[in-house]
Amino acid sequence: MEPAEAEFLAEKELVTIVPSFSMDRVHLIGGDLGPFNPGLPVEVPVWLAISLKQRQKCRLIPPEWMDVEKLEEIRDQERKEDTFTPMPSPYYMELTKLLLNYASDNIPKADEIRTLVKDTWDTRMAKLRLSADSFVRQQEAHAKLDNLTLMEINTIGTFLTQALDHMYKLRTNLQPSGSAESQDF
Amino acid sequence: MAAAGGEELDSDDGSEELVLTPLQLIRSLEQAWLNEKFAPELLESKPEIIECVVEQLDHMEANLKRAKKGDLKVSVHRMEIERIRYVLSSYLRCRLVKIEKFFPHVLEKEKSRAKGEPSILSPEEFAFAKEYMANTETYLKNVALKHMPPNLQKVALLKSVPKPNLDSFVFLRVLKRQENILVEPETDEQREYTIDLEEGSQHLIRYKTIAPLVASGAVQLI
Repeated sequence: MEPAEAEFLAEKELVTIVPSFSMDRVHLIGGDLGPFNPGLPVEVPVWLAISLKQRQKCRLIPPEWMDVEKLEEIRDQERKEDTFTPMPSPYYMELTKLLLNYASDNIPKADEIRTLVKDTWDTRMAKLRLSADSFVRQQEAHAKLDNLTLMEINTIGTFLTQALDHMYKLRTNLQPSGSAESQDF
Repeated sequence: MAAAGGEELDSDDGSEELVLTPLQLIRSLEQAWLNEKFAPELLESKPEIIECVVEQLDHMEANLKRAKKGDLKVSVHRMEIERIRYVLSSYLRCRLVKIEKFFPHVLEKEKSRAKGEPSILSPEEFAFAKEYMANTETYLKNVALKHMPPNLQKVALLKSVPKPNLDSFVFLRVLKRQENILVEPETDEQREYTIDLEEGSQHLIRYKTIAPLVASGAVQLI
């Protein structure tokens, strides 16, 4: 999966905006949105929020977890634990990137937030590399990865599964069974 | 622009009628898309979902044509349509790539399918696969085979074209709790063991063991 596709899925998450226009209820295929009244907060999917923000038709309200203190807590918690801690949103990385790219003027202390999220991401990626390494070394057959987000899985997913495939082929070809035809893979 | 009401879908044997809201329909499409993307083999075809999604998109397009131009609502609807169209196209393209990659095996599986079993190819995909096979055979014959000595002029495509690797690892998220899933050992020193899949948990495991769970919708590949 391309990172852009993970972002595509993240864009379905709801975020609060304050519109500067009015529009009555929109009946999308995926559900109803609105009505929109200037000054009154309303929830819309991120893809719409970004588009409206780009057309200067609204102001974005950052999600409750996108706050310096909260993120510091999360980062420290992540650094303390050996395992993965639950993240405030399954799309924390994509949402941070999208909202900070397009609406940093609506988000207080945007730069600090960016750094904190990046620090948390780096800690988690380091843990992920370690656990992928031990998975391969110990030739595990199964792993539980509950608190990992899609973007993190996606970053090593393709490489890891292909590497495991190659190792499997090499291992099965070592066995003198001769049942696997050389062109089975 | 009122939203269409629930859709009625007949399953193959017509014994069940599924009523899906448009939102559930789009979710099913996204589920099918992700599963197809990450599964090593071609999955069951989902003609009902595709048909209904196309219907919804056409219906919405028709409505938009009648609406007044430059309306903000129109652009919001258009954006949603483009998003849904992207998922649909990506899903269909993914299937075509797999059909082209595994064409003799896909056709063989379809030929040997039991009567009640669901098909993995839609009628159009089936026609495409057959044509692709015929074209490949003609190509091989004209480029090389007819110049070979007479007893070497056949190519067993079923044996030469690699099969999908069902032993590949996949990532999945559990939608419905499953008990006692067998995990086979990797090395000779290991023993097999069973695990329970809790709802909402995520796992990395070989595709072969959980293939039926993907087909039944109990797990989602990610």
